[in-house]
Amino acid sequence: MKRLILAALLLAPPLAAQGYRLRVDGRFQAIGYRGLQLDSIPVTDIVTGPGGGPATPDGFAVRCPSGAPYCLYFRPGPVRHGAPFVATGDLALWGLGVRGVSVHATARAALDFTGADAWPGTDPALQLINGYVEYSSERATARAGRQQHTNRLGTIGFDGAGLTIRDGRRGLEASLYGGWGLARGVALPVTSPALNPIDDFQPRRRQLILGMSAGWSGSRGDLHADYLREVDPRSDYFVSERVGVTAVVRPAPAWSLTGGADYDLAAGWWGSAEATVGYAARVVTASLGARRYRPHFDLWTIWGAFSPVPYRAIQAQVSVRAMPQVQLRARGERYRFDDAEAETPLVDVEQSGWRGELGATASPAPSWTFDAGYHREFGPGAASVGTSASVTYAPEGPYAVTVHGASLDRPLEFRFSESVLHLYGMDARVEPRQGLRFELGAVRYAEDRRRPDPAAMDWGQWRVTLRAILAIGSSDDLLRLPPARRRMPGGRAAR
Amino acid sequence: MIAVASLAIVVLLQVRAQGFDHLQHKALFPICASCHPGAARKGEALWPEPTSCAACHDGTIEKTVVWRPRTIARRTNLRFDHVQHATAAKDKPALCAGCHTELGEPRMAVRGTVVQRCLDCHGVRVAHLAAPDSACGTCHVPLVRAAALTRGDVARFRAPPSHANPNFLSRSGHGAVSRETMGASCATCHAREFCYQCHAGTAPPRAVAWLSSDPRSTAIAARAAPASHGDNFADRHGTEAAASSTRCAGCHIRADCLECHRPNAASGAGYHPDGFLARHPAAAYAREASCSDCHNVGAFCTTCHTRAGLVAGGVLRSGYHDTRQFFLAGHGQAARQGLESCVSCHAERDCLTCHSALGGRRFNPHGPGFDPGRLRRKNFEMCTVCHGAAVPQR
Repeated sequence: MKRLILAALLLAPPLAAQGYRLRVDGRFQAIGYRGLQLDSIPVTDIVTGPGGGPATPDGFAVRCPSGAPYCLYFRPGPVRHGAPFVATGDLALWGLGVRGVSVHATARAALDFTGADAWPGTDPALQLINGYVEYSSERATARAGRQQHTNRLGTIGFDGAGLTIRDGRRGLEASLYGGWGLARGVALPVTSPALNPIDDFQPRRRQLILGMSAGWSGSRGDLHADYLREVDPRSDYFVSERVGVTAVVRPAPAWSLTGGADYDLAAGWWGSAEATVGYAARVVTASLGARRYRPHFDLWTIWGAFSPVPYRAIQAQVSVRAMPQVQLRARGERYRFDDAEAETPLVDVEQSGWRGELGATASPAPSWTFDAGYHREFGPGAASVGTSASVTYAPEGPYAVTVHGASLDRPLEFRFSESVLHLYGMDARVEPRQGLRFELGAVRYAEDRRRPDPAAMDWGQWRVTLRAILAIGSSDDLLRLPPARRRMPGGRAAR
Repeated sequence: MIAVASLAIVVLLQVRAQGFDHLQHKALFPICASCHPGAARKGEALWPEPTSCAACHDGTIEKTVVWRPRTIARRTNLRFDHVQHATAAKDKPALCAGCHTELGEPRMAVRGTVVQRCLDCHGVRVAHLAAPDSACGTCHVPLVRAAALTRGDVARFRAPPSHANPNFLSRSGHGAVSRETMGASCATCHAREFCYQCHAGTAPPRAVAWLSSDPRSTAIAARAAPASHGDNFADRHGTEAAASSTRCAGCHIRADCLECHRPNAASGAGYHPDGFLARHPAAAYAREASCSDCHNVGAFCTTCHTRAGLVAGGVLRSGYHDTRQFFLAGHGQAARQGLESCVSCHAERDCLTCHSALGGRRFNPHGPGFDPGRLRRKNFEMCTVCHGAAVPQR
């Protein structure tokens, strides 16, 4: 092996014009919060509460399982403090002697300085999100290593290889990839203990994945299809098998029709789908669409067998730049779940819901931005209604300051947890030089929980965040974040 | 009166800007090369010596003037050579006036180069910046060879009208142009670093490699967003990104996406609005968005709920869902509607207490759309969790 490495080093081409780009994003937070704690009391000790139901002598409402010698209740737990630090590094290397060859790595390190295990996501402390070698030419791109593919079926992470071939002139592209899969929504294998915090059933081996996609992109539209199968190598049974298709049509300037759907071949039902008509002009941006949502569960859980039902929704949103300095926005959605075939007279459950939001953003001067919004949503499980406002001062300089506040009323459907929350805070950003940015944020949650018993705990808390972003590269252009990113509209004003 | 005065001032300034008033001296100098020998003969000076002016402007015959010939080469990206032009066009009359006067003006109404005259002579019948892409190299050297130009000079380059086309940023716009004329035309104003401002996410297109490297090229900022990026594009970008993520990767790197779509628990507000932590139950119960595209239920939702005391803890407890007295008995509809929310607090064994055929109470959990035959074929093991080896055939 040593000889092989030595030979490779001796025969390697000179590293002329080697380039690199490194972006490190570190975020430190100081937080404190109070959770719930399950407790019990002997049946013999309970008393009749103010509402006529069973309660502890000190006023907590309790639930008494039939026939059990004790009753259960949740009381406020202790305040837990955390000081998590999370750093993410993105590294790209190229100019390695072969044109088109580059190395990419993204890793995340997380640590809770208090050691109190109060903050999620700090285990394992080091995660490799991406780490692959790429060869890319005008006609083909090949990658090997840990990578994430994003498509209609979600973000698919795996350790393996992929190949994309394309015909740029005709806008055609096809990909094939496969390897050992990662869990959904995280860069960890499904066997990781970090994915099993409540001791659920867990697969013993990683799934093998095979995916392929094909697409066409033209000036008038795009069409893309994806297929993905995941197989448990221990049993050779499917973990999932899905196909998805997405299309975009741009019939005229400013107009677009977008749509897509996915089908679960393993479960034999349609997953999520949507169709939207969009209009994006200088003054008015609007969209009107319908969508359907059904969650997807891998087959090595039993959740898919519980028949999750989809909901169907219609939605619309409009944004109007009434004056050059003022933008108004509104959005709304109404949805209804399909019949769950599990209704009972014992429990009345909401089957439909709606969401709405109104807002305005004004920039009376180039450095000042005022934003205000009102949202209201009601549906199964929970509802909320709230207002929010922010003021941002961002002069033509290296810094910006935002002060924001909000109020929120958030009742739950299945638990007495109506509460009013007031939130206020500030964010500050400074860029002392290109490629270096510091951010400081502090927010106060002040909550008034309205419960008819002592369980109306105080969830109020402060959260303080300090963030630093460093981007360096091998020449001066690389010191910048991509302008595309800098142009991305920020804040809720643009959403 | 004011207008006349203003006009006079403008004319005066223009004359002063010309320095030497050629027209006033037209009778003295019938041949341009008598003062500018370098325009016709190699090795000669292009500018006259100050002493030649002083022959008349001695303070007696004419007032004295101050004239110093240019000693520093003009900062330019022109590939023009006076002698070559003089040789090539020796048979054409009024050679110098052909470039340094407007059409129809007298020979000595000299001004700086009249670009349109160059274009006329070279057969380009449109305005300067609208010239065909193949024409730039006729008069201009690539930026990397225009060593005298400063970043400020580069920043003042005017963009051709073609660049204002909404489609120009697309693959069929500048992409197609660059494949044809990158070396000959684009290189006049741009170098590789300019392209890297946007082509940062993946290996740059091959055409970029045809350009040389020149950091001055970033003096021109690539600021325009594609036409598709209208207001509230953040809301609409999902479907387009899913349709062709490689198009996004032309400008965006992964970190751009992670500014909002951060798959870790320690992130602040980004994709979600301020205070979303507090209002997430309403959005999560009836999935305003597909949470699991970015968040793993086990690593994200359940670990946080565990720390907040919001999990069943291995054994199904009574008491949390306290607004419905018989919630445990009638939870089916709520579960099928919000199963993703249920599993953020409950483990599978919580449900198997009642729903398993192996030691449970045999409550059938299968509902609308359940296809036992298909699931049996696809993953028989899943069936055995509840049914053991005795999985029903239908």
